[in-house]
Amino acid sequence: MQVQVLSARFEIPDAHKIEVAKEHGAYATLDKVFAMQPEEIIELVKASGLRGRGGAGFPTGLKWSFLPKGVDKPVYLAVNSDESEPATFKDRYILVRDPHMLIEGIIICCYAIKSHHAYIYIRGEYTTQVKALQAAIDEAYDAGYLGDSVAGRDFKLDVTVHRGAGAYVCGEETALLESIEGRKGQPRSKPPFPAVEGLYGCPTIINNVQSIGSLPFILTNGPDAYKAYGTEKSPGTHLFGISGLVKKPGMYELPLGLPLLEVIDKVAGGMRDGRTLKGVIPGGSSTPVLTPEEAQTVTLDYESMAAHKTMFGSGGIVVLDDTVDMVKLVENLISFYHHESCGQCTPCREGLGWMLKIVKKIIRGEGTVADIDLLTELCDNIEMKTVCVLSAACTMSTRSYLNKFRHEFEAYVSGGASSKAAM
Amino acid sequence: MADTVKLFVNGQEVEVESGKNLIDAIGAVGIEIPHLCYHPALGADGNCRMCLVGIEDGRPPLVPACKTRVAEGMKVQLDTDKIKKIQHDVMEFELINHPVDCPICDQAGECKLQDYYMKYDGQKSRMTVKPVYKAKKLDFGCGVVHDQERCVLCARCVRFTRLITKTGELGIVNRTDAARVNIFPGRPLNNRYALNVVDLCPVGAMTSRDFRFKQRSWFLTKSPSICHGCSKGCNIFIDHNREKYKDDVIYRFRPRLNSQVNGYFMCDQGRMTYKLENDNRLTTAWIADREASVGEGVEAVRRAISQAKKAVLLVSPNCSLEQMLAVQRLAASIGAQVSGYSDGLIKQGDADGYLIQDDKSANRAGFALLGIDATKAGFDAAIQDADLLVSFQSDLSLSLGEADLTTLMEKMSTVYVGSYQNSFTAKASLRLPAASYSEDTGLIVNCDGILQQYKAAVVKNSPAAGLGQMVQMLGGSIESPAQALAELKSSVAALQSVDFEQIPSEGIALTASEVAHVAA
Repeated sequence: MQVQVLSARFEIPDAHKIEVAKEHGAYATLDKVFAMQPEEIIELVKASGLRGRGGAGFPTGLKWSFLPKGVDKPVYLAVNSDESEPATFKDRYILVRDPHMLIEGIIICCYAIKSHHAYIYIRGEYTTQVKALQAAIDEAYDAGYLGDSVAGRDFKLDVTVHRGAGAYVCGEETALLESIEGRKGQPRSKPPFPAVEGLYGCPTIINNVQSIGSLPFILTNGPDAYKAYGTEKSPGTHLFGISGLVKKPGMYELPLGLPLLEVIDKVAGGMRDGRTLKGVIPGGSSTPVLTPEEAQTVTLDYESMAAHKTMFGSGGIVVLDDTVDMVKLVENLISFYHHESCGQCTPCREGLGWMLKIVKKIIRGEGTVADIDLLTELCDNIEMKTVCVLSAACTMSTRSYLNKFRHEFEAYVSGGASSKAAM
Repeated sequence: MADTVKLFVNGQEVEVESGKNLIDAIGAVGIEIPHLCYHPALGADGNCRMCLVGIEDGRPPLVPACKTRVAEGMKVQLDTDKIKKIQHDVMEFELINHPVDCPICDQAGECKLQDYYMKYDGQKSRMTVKPVYKAKKLDFGCGVVHDQERCVLCARCVRFTRLITKTGELGIVNRTDAARVNIFPGRPLNNRYALNVVDLCPVGAMTSRDFRFKQRSWFLTKSPSICHGCSKGCNIFIDHNREKYKDDVIYRFRPRLNSQVNGYFMCDQGRMTYKLENDNRLTTAWIADREASVGEGVEAVRRAISQAKKAVLLVSPNCSLEQMLAVQRLAASIGAQVSGYSDGLIKQGDADGYLIQDDKSANRAGFALLGIDATKAGFDAAIQDADLLVSFQSDLSLSLGEADLTTLMEKMSTVYVGSYQNSFTAKASLRLPAASYSEDTGLIVNCDGILQQYKAAVVKNSPAAGLGQMVQMLGGSIESPAQALAELKSSVAALQSVDFEQIPSEGIALTASEVAHVAA
């Protein structure tokens, strides 16, 4: 089931070094790229059907085409490498094992969108990763792939690595821009959208590491080769981070569209012995949980996930078995989003803390059925009333547990869960 | 007239000014959109979420009104269940961690949280868990005291220090419900407009050390007036109250919007000049060291004037145009000279290019209009052979050194007619009380040539006569305010076209009026 499109060089020793990477095809596609017109590249990426791999799945080529024409300002590329969504661990592999794939992708993208400066916003906690990435960028400068004349062409490109300071919300694209600009990482109201008014007030494209990393393959092999993987509407491959209570958790590259349960069984080694499936978080902590029944029919692509009223998200799959206490899981979940709320908008700032305290109260055995109902109502009252979707990430997921596993909350309320509380 | 657009609010067509956001444009025609963080002088921030409105067929269908410009044909929904519920829910979130200490909060009565709770929320608290506790009564400097628990994090104060004073002392530290407004340790507010954050704060989080716990806002009478702290003439509210068995006392000045003069703000120094109106007032007549009735005092001054070989009338640049004219006429009738000498009120280099001016008087421009000489040379020449100096509101001790003042007062007898006691009046041989500007009506012209009218705000238990009336009692020829206005109109060219009955609230730009006429 596993494929090697993005991960082709992951297992090659020292593939993070430029000479090894080049031996295995890195930067080879640049001749072809520079022979094309920027607009042709955008069309080619559109044709590949590549969708944003940060979680939202917005078509990458289409995003690029939103850049205003004939504007006298510099265009920036910001590569989102904040990767902070719980259960998501895919971009870090690219950063450490094949950073030159990312750099090559950046060159392709910047040429296409006529940008001469790319920022890579990297999660602050990624110390190993930032070192590997910076070393690769230094190598690329030395080798002439970055700088005043990229690969000997009349094209200037600088890449700046900007480290975050530990805020999840800086993965939100406008908070990311604020953070690069040196301000507190708080999302901006949209419109204006970054493509029109982004970094330093200039048109800016923000793409995920994996989206950019997919470009060299698409340019080398053509859109059809990319579309050979995956489904019609969700083409290509994805780096899935499978974690939770399975025998072989890990990062696996798979084409989109595979049945979830088959992937859990055949790729991740299946459930632990004697345990049964209780639920699956399909794409990072913010995506609504799937019950075992729903997991039966869902496939790993944007459309199937949407049909099951959840989201594809970041490909961070968490498998939950019958030992998991869903109420405590929700406490953990809300506690994360509460902690990471930037504190800007009232509903998120005040509401998530309230939700957390209510869940804690329920776990202490002091809750009532009214508390469960209040929790559900608060999800509705907070969701989509804020500048960004951080609060929605919390409420959409929390609501799914409240709806699908309400009996577990009720068990705490009636005191029946006190024996489970030790879990 | 500005361009307008037609749009629909709750299905009803309204015509509003174009180019504005929904809050301002729709608010101007009397439809309120609730908001906490937006302020016209500070721009839209969009953090409170109280102004979310629906836009029918809009993409997105739900927008913050503060960040949304009016557009032709836009269908704004304010009364849908969805919008009402959002307003209700946001209020609930604002209040769950709020101490609800209205009984001891200075803001009570003029608090957006209270108003919006009554209007949009109105339910009992559903908080059954501990609220977030934060710090209280933090000294932020410049007389600003902050209560973090009452704060709704609207960031108006923060934006004020960044956008208006450009000093940036305030910031919001921490995230989530641990977020709070704070200063850097040891770096308190340090600007001359700091107390404006108290007015800007929509709730009781920013309080003034000077005002807190003094009065409930609903007892205060809020009378419009004009600050006399400098020549800018910032528009103010005089908030005053007569408590039972006590006199009418001013508790604070607050800035009043005048986009032509001061905008929404005023300086702290001017704000504190309310104290001069309350304290150290001259309330009775004095003949030498003896308290006397006003009638007795007036007689004594008239006698002094009639006996004087040569009198000089010293008029303060804080006097109104009417008062200046009255003094001028009196001088003409008794053959005295008028001087406006008051160099001590000019603090060279104090102006900051914003509101604060060098000249700490309200109507020096009036001297120019009426042709009153205010030079030191003119003053020196006038007193050369004079044997009587009558000061109208002018504190000569500010302009003359102690030795010079003593020499002068040995040489001639001095009379003070005015409202305040100070080191000059203490030495004057005759003193007559007059109403101050907070108790009187008058016209003044500010440093930019804008004519403004202030009206009596405070009525004392024993009101003093206005200065104009006092001048008349001393033998002046102007018998009524109406006569003063008529004579100003006929004798001052710049005032000829002014309709004193209808001076607009933003004043009249005297120098620019002709230009405006041509442009129109």
